[in-house]
Amino acid sequence: MTTQTLDPVPADFRERRLGRIASVGKLAAGNALAVGVLILCLAFYSQSHLFLSAANIRSIATQSSITLIVAVPACLLLMSGEVDLSVGSTVALSAVVAGLGFTQWQLPIVLAILLGLACGLMVGALNALLVVRFQFSSLIVTLGSLSLVRGIAEGIGPNPIYNFPVGFVKFGNGTWLGIPYLTLVAAVVTLLGGFYLALSPTGKHVRALGVSKDAAFLSGIGVRRLTVLLFVATGFAAGLGGILTAARLGSSPSSTAGLNLELDVLTAVLLGGTTFGGGKGTVRGTVLGVVFLVALQSGLTIQNVAPAWSTAAKGTALMAAALLNFISVRRQSAYS
Amino acid sequence: MATALRIDHISKSYGNRKVLDRVSLEVESGEIHALLGANGAGKSTLIGCLSGAVNPDSGQIIVGEVSHTALTPRQALHAGVAVIYQHFSLVPSLSAADNIFLGEELAVRGVVQARRQVNLAQALLDDIGARVSAKRPVESLTVGERQMVEIAKVMRRKPAVLILDEPTAALGHREAALLAERLEKLRETGTIGIIYVSHLLPEIFRLADKVSVIRDGKIVLESDLRHLSRVDLIAAISGPPKTHTSRNSASPAADQPPSVDTKEPDTRISAHDLKVGAVGPLDLSAASGEIIGIFGLMGSGRTEMLEAMCGIRPIESGELCIQGRPVSLKNPEAALALGVAFVPADRKMRGIWGAMSAGDNVAMPQMTRLSRLGVRNKAREADVFYEVAELTSLSPALYSLHAGSYSGGGQQKLLVGRWLAEGSNVEVVLLDEPTQGIDVGARGDLYDLLRSAARTRGLTAVFTTSDPEEALLLAHRIVVLYQGRIVLDQVTAELTEEQLLDAAHGGPDKDVT
Repeated sequence: MTTQTLDPVPADFRERRLGRIASVGKLAAGNALAVGVLILCLAFYSQSHLFLSAANIRSIATQSSITLIVAVPACLLLMSGEVDLSVGSTVALSAVVAGLGFTQWQLPIVLAILLGLACGLMVGALNALLVVRFQFSSLIVTLGSLSLVRGIAEGIGPNPIYNFPVGFVKFGNGTWLGIPYLTLVAAVVTLLGGFYLALSPTGKHVRALGVSKDAAFLSGIGVRRLTVLLFVATGFAAGLGGILTAARLGSSPSSTAGLNLELDVLTAVLLGGTTFGGGKGTVRGTVLGVVFLVALQSGLTIQNVAPAWSTAAKGTALMAAALLNFISVRRQSAYS
Repeated sequence: MATALRIDHISKSYGNRKVLDRVSLEVESGEIHALLGANGAGKSTLIGCLSGAVNPDSGQIIVGEVSHTALTPRQALHAGVAVIYQHFSLVPSLSAADNIFLGEELAVRGVVQARRQVNLAQALLDDIGARVSAKRPVESLTVGERQMVEIAKVMRRKPAVLILDEPTAALGHREAALLAERLEKLRETGTIGIIYVSHLLPEIFRLADKVSVIRDGKIVLESDLRHLSRVDLIAAISGPPKTHTSRNSASPAADQPPSVDTKEPDTRISAHDLKVGAVGPLDLSAASGEIIGIFGLMGSGRTEMLEAMCGIRPIESGELCIQGRPVSLKNPEAALALGVAFVPADRKMRGIWGAMSAGDNVAMPQMTRLSRLGVRNKAREADVFYEVAELTSLSPALYSLHAGSYSGGGQQKLLVGRWLAEGSNVEVVLLDEPTQGIDVGARGDLYDLLRSAARTRGLTAVFTTSDPEEALLLAHRIVVLYQGRIVLDQVTAELTEEQLLDAAHGGPDKDVT
């Protein structure tokens, strides 16, 4: 194509058409995951109407809840350029500690719950300390705490703990107006995270950290303080996740509670458009990412697909998303 | 003399925007050809066409005898076009020799001939007069030495044309002089044509034989440098005069040193016996409304000094006072709380958030101040942005344009301007090499900005520079650093360029260049 187009009208026309195609593409790209969730649901629904039954929707909501509670702060953390792999283990530790509190230590319910949450805070604080004070890579630090914390959980509670207070278990499985309590908690966490990111000044700073920590530091932003806050919030959310897991199961199995949750969380967050190096991402995307993964698993289960294949499907979804993103980025840069 | 490179009617458009409009240029072997132009004039695109990074829409590039309509980076390399960019492409952890042979290792049966590589690399480095050991890892080299490695790397292919894109932007005066010597040596060989891109006119006058000025994608001046004056060049670069105050400051008429404030000023920031690593002891004090220039070579300690004054580098001994009170700053945040802001030299990496909007870049450090009850006030953020845009003559003044899309000058306006917005508590701005790699127009705007802020709101500005002209033009008082010590501290009106250079080289006796 030469640049010496003599007639300005067709050039202009072409420009406008190109612009329109690009903006439609952009809209689809911006909501690709929402479109994906929709297609997924319709596809599963066409196979089995059970998929969109009230019971199954409630089940999807319940299963999404704990992942989402952890994924929202994990998304913010990743946006700031750090990652936390220890969340699954933290869920286990918190569940075990609260469980021991209920049973072995005979603590009041509230105290046992607070103890579990405190475990989450402590793991978050430990991760933050090592990353912020000693400048270690968060990947290494939290890979370490992933094993450390799981080990502690299994050490102090080698056998599944059960016989929890009735009210506690009821909360984990009950509903309000048909909505599971867990989902209500998840909704609160999501709204808090979303509003924090969109409206608060430090929410914007989270992004700034991900784009350039140096620039943030030199601009007088409290980089360390914010990093600590995000790690501690993620740890706390994992602690909360542990309590809710115990409430839902009515027991605290130290070796399976929250197992591989860090991978599900990371997959959902990345699927939701948050970049691994930080700087980009949304809470909305994270919600869609979690729902997508859970719906995928649920649909395949209804279709009687072996669990191994639904794990493979999750992986495929992430790779496909990365590929789609690659293509759309290349397209956009070709237009600019 | 043989023609090394001929560019024939090259055009390039992005969308509707014509970036290059039938540009023709001829460079002969044994010639240093200066390429001048404001940021955004089309220089980078033209160089991109030569290096293979950009595909021209039409026209021809003729290297030696061979004509090309477009080049890929590989073709450019083989055709004999070598480009040295502002940002080097070296791998820091590898040695100079490994870098020079990167991707084309000398190997026998898959085993790299490390010793031969080192010897050959050393020979290449010696040839261009670089005093660098080929065995040293690049990360341990100074910026000037890295540049020498980069040049040695491209010289290995015996290119027909060597293009240097603002080569002295990151260099101190002495290293720049050294580079100039090397280039003159290269010119003498008569086998290579050199295209030299720079904003610094004294350099051009010292080095270049011919000059081409590009403006709005067109070559507006091509001539022997002998026939031209500074004024001619500035006129060609900036185009027809606009009714705009900033242009004045770039013209010789305004090259007068600013008058010194005779009022009794209050000391804003002061250092006593300050020691920072190998730098110091330093004494410095800056009053309100005062602009102080720290002039010195690369490695003279000017950056260390500035960074110690805002909590980036720990102070070993001595005292730092802000508003007369001794302080110990943990980080820039603490400095900012006391009204001291910093503008780093490395704009791209440490200054702006390239992937965020210009509006966010401006508002970021003040979002908390601008917010209400923990909720950001986007309307006020936008007000601040447009205020800063007007203050700094930012163009384009687009709130949501990514800061990375602005020219170097635009980015610097965002970084400096954000501290000067209404309601900002900043009273002292520390600027490290504030005009490095910035075109004449934006440079004038920045000078105007600092001067008027100093005059009207009593801003104190302390800046470092390796350009003596800039120090004389902007500063009320100049401090010269040499090997970590202050060797001169005087009111600008009493100083000349020669004095500055002398002092920065440790006085005439100690000049070892």
